[in-house]
Order: sequence, then structure tokens, then C-alpha cells
Amino acid sequence: MTWLFHNLSYVGELTWLHLLQSVLPVIIGTVVSIPVARFAAVRRSRGAEGAGGASRARAGKARRGTVVNAAALLYTIPSLALFVLLPLVLGTAITSLTNVIIALSLYVIAMMVRSCVDAFESVDAAVLDAATAVGYRPARRFWAVELPLSVPVMAAGLRVALVSNISMVSVGAVIGIQSLGTLFTDGLRRDFTTEIIVGIVLIALIAVVLDRLVALAAAVATRWQVRS
Amino acid sequence: MPLGKTDAIEFIGVSKEFESSTAVENLDLAIPDGLITVFVGPSGCGKTTSLRMINRMVEPTRGRILIQGEDNKDTPAHELRRSMGYVMQESGLMPHRTVADNIATVPRLNGVSKRDGRSRALELMDTVGLDRGLAKRYPAQLSGGQAQRVGVARALAADSPVLLMDEPFSAVDPVVRADLQRELIRLHETLERTIVFVTHDIDEAVTLGQRVAVFAEGGRVAQFGSPEEILREPADDFVASFVGHDRGTRRLTFASAGEVPIRPLDAEDRPWGDWRLALDDAGRPAGWSIDDRTMVGGSLFPQGGSLRDALDSVLSSPSGWGVAVDDDGRALGLLSSDDVMDAAARERKSRYGVGL
Repeated sequence: MTWLFHNLSYVGELTWLHLLQSVLPVIIGTVVSIPVARFAAVRRSRGAEGAGGASRARAGKARRGTVVNAAALLYTIPSLALFVLLPLVLGTAITSLTNVIIALSLYVIAMMVRSCVDAFESVDAAVLDAATAVGYRPARRFWAVELPLSVPVMAAGLRVALVSNISMVSVGAVIGIQSLGTLFTDGLRRDFTTEIIVGIVLIALIAVVLDRLVALAAAVATRWQVRS
Repeated sequence: MPLGKTDAIEFIGVSKEFESSTAVENLDLAIPDGLITVFVGPSGCGKTTSLRMINRMVEPTRGRILIQGEDNKDTPAHELRRSMGYVMQESGLMPHRTVADNIATVPRLNGVSKRDGRSRALELMDTVGLDRGLAKRYPAQLSGGQAQRVGVARALAADSPVLLMDEPFSAVDPVVRADLQRELIRLHETLERTIVFVTHDIDEAVTLGQRVAVFAEGGRVAQFGSPEEILREPADDFVASFVGHDRGTRRLTFASAGEVPIRPLDAEDRPWGDWRLALDDAGRPAGWSIDDRTMVGGSLFPQGGSLRDALDSVLSSPSGWGVAVDDDGRALGLLSSDDVMDAAARERKSRYGVGL
């Protein structure tokens, strides 16, 4: 405890860095995932409408498979390797924040593409059909109907991605990127347990608080759902 | 312009082919202005496809569709759709929008302010018989019947002369459906819109339709005419089998039971013998009794009802005597089965002009 009080500003700065690396990649990753997933999602359209309905459906399934599997593959790259390799591709310094934020965004994409595809596919095709039938044009239909209706499934995926990203941020500390993970590497090097415990508690705290915030925001955005 | 004299919608040589099948084959059909026209037929006969070609939810492979004389391809699809109300099965409401917002969808798409859209929505809730207190509910909080009323209100909000309805009442229970059908007829009488209504239920078609198009397999219209014509003179075996074995009874829907005498309850000769009709305090029928046994009554014959109502009241009554009631449900008197059958025979003779 005494250690924490003496190092408040240091721990504060690390917390801020950790938050930044937790939140930014989730935002970037989600913003990238949404259009990718929308492109890949397979619409179960009403009947076999239009010429070439069946062949279009086959092409759609193939596209969905490629995108979802590519995203999943991304997740199999070890994080440490990605941190080290990315600078070679991007030309950034290995310890730069950009480097780590891009690497973490890739992991968020790996998780969120799948969730977003599921989310778009969860939207009732009859409702989209109805929206078109009453005169929505495609872009407005996407923003005003399809996206809001995919929030419930998307938010569930977002919470998983957010929490797993918060814990993954600490890995960056191994190659010297400052975050609450730094308290682990430092504590380990100095054989100083208090520092490690402070790190664990703070990371858990961030995870709980941010998760609750997302859950709350999702609840507000989905008031229309019947709750038991 | 007198209703039904001009054509609101005209199909000219319209065909729709899908990859492996023909949904609609060379359809020529003129839908009269201001009437309810019903497309009826078994599933897969192209009636819904035909309906959806009117607002270009499906594009025809060949042929043209004229709306008030203009080719529907001359208007951008989204504008065409906003210019026609569309009601579908399961209501098709936006689950994330409140009732009022759902109803105001088309005005809002056309750039009407949120406030004006809302006040329009509230007016329309009155029109379709929805409590204004439901305005802030979400669709998931409504009953099936309420949701369909919202769907109808949303379609009316387009202020269009044409309403397209795709099996709108098929997912609600029979009692609510009868209610919605009555309501639609009432709305049509006050609003005078052209309504195109799709159903697979011949009873619904006969109840609602002023014109009925019977669709057969392969998207062919087997017969187009008034419901009476279709029940009286089916054009071919397909129509005859589709309108079913009940068509004799159904036809009585169009005959008035005005000539059937209503016997007073206190008739001296008591032709109904030992049967006794029980009445509640308000004078409404409350079942029949005989030999200390009490039975639930049959269907009631509303004063001024059709011969079909009269016949059913007789057939469903434990005593064999139909009960006639006034508008408040109070018993007026009894109908005898012989009188009803005689009236049906007279109706038949006058209809075919024989044996008079």
C-alpha cells in the first residue's frame, strides 16, 4: 500500500496508457470490422428472388467463409511475434504506441468480424424487406434499421473483445511498451510482489468498469428488446 | 369519378420467371379504382409475386404495370414504394422503433418533421382503433392484433390512393382476424382507397373482396370477378375445387335473410316444444334448457344478417331453432330451420331465374 501511495503518479500514468491501449484498438477494430462483416454476411433473402438467386447464394457462402476464416487465422498469430514483426512492415519503432495499437486492432478485428457477421445475420430478413417495401433507400436502411438491429449480438462480441484486449495490452510490456503490464515485468525483475498485485487489481478494475459501461450502453441502445 | 369505373392498377402481359420456375405467366389484369381487390389462390401460385411487382419489390421479366395510367418504372423504386401503403404478414414493423415512430415512417422518410410525424401518427392510431397510450410501446410489447393495426396505420400514413396488403391477417387468431377484417371494411368505406389484398383463404377473399382474382398454379388467373360470380359460376374445375365444397353455404353470405320470419319468443303455439331459451338480466340469450339439462347456445343471428348467418344459427343451435338478436345482443325471437331452407330455395330460384 505504501508503495502505491509513493508511486501514485507513475501508476496513474501507466493506467492512462493501459486505458488508451485498451480502448483505441477496440474502436478501430470495430469500425474496420463492421463494413468487412457487412460485405461477408449472407442475407437469407425472401424466396429465390431475381435471376441467379441460387448462384448468388453460393457465391455469398464462399465469400462469408473466406472472410470469417481469414479473420480467425489472424488470431492464431502469437501476440509477441506480431509486436516484433509489425515494425518491419510498418517501419515504426518497435516500442512506439502506434505499433502496439495496430497490432491489438488486428486482434480485435479477428474477433469482431465474426461477431459482426453473426450480428448482421441475426437481423430478421422480413424486417429489412419491410423497410425496403415502405421506401427506405439502401444507405438509410443500413444506418437506421440494419445497424441498430444488429447491436444486441454485436455488443456481446464487443464485450468479449474488449475484455480480452485489456488483458492482452500487458503483453506489450515484455518488449518495453508502457502499460500496467510494466508493473508485472518490473515487479518480476525486482522480485516485488506488491507491484504485481497492484497491476493485476488495476487491470481487473479497468476490465470490470469498461465492460459494465459497454453493457450499459448496449442496454440503452436495445430498450426495444423484450426482457424477461 | 365513380368508384370502380377506372383502373387504378393494370397488369399488361406481365411474366415473372425465376431460375427454375415461372411464378407469373402473361398476366393481364385491371384492378378497379377505389375497390378492394383480392388475389386468392393456393401457395406458390404467384399471387404474392404479382402484388410485389406493383411496388417493384420484384421486377417483372416481361410486361408492364401501369399505376393510374403511368408505367411504374417511370418512378424511382423508393418513391414508388413510399407512394403506396404496404402491409405484410407479421406486420413487418421495425422492432427498434416505438409504435408512433413506426407509423410515422413514411412521412419521416419524406422529410416531415418529427413533431408533425408524431401528431399524424396519433391521428392514425385513432383511425385504426388503437389506444393512444400505446404510442410509446415497442412492437414486441404488442399483441398480434395490435401489431397488425399498427401495420395498417403505417400504410395509411403514406396518404396514398393505393394500399397493398400481403396476407396481413394470416398470423392472428380467428377471433382477432374477424375483428381486423370488419375494421378493414369500415376503413375502406370511409377512406375510399384502392386495396389489393393477398390471401390463401377463400373465406377471407369472399368476406373482403369486391373483386376476387383466383390464381392457379403457374401464375395464371383462373377467374376474375365479384365474389358472388366466382361462387355461383366457377370458371373451371380448378376454381370450383378451390372455392371448395362449402361454396353453397358461402354463397348465402350474399343473400339477405330479411324474408325469414322471426318468431316471437312468447308464441302461443310454442313450436319449439319443451325447449326453453334462457335469458340473462339484459335479455341476452344464455343457452337452452330441456328436461333440467342446460346447454350452451349456438351462433346468434344478428338482425339484418345474411342467410348464411341465419342458416348457421339454426344448425348450431341445440334446439334446432336459431336465435335472432338486436344490435345490443338482446334476443328478438327465433328462426325455424324450415323457414331458412325455404328462403335459401327462393334465393336459388331467383338467382338462376328458374322454377319461380
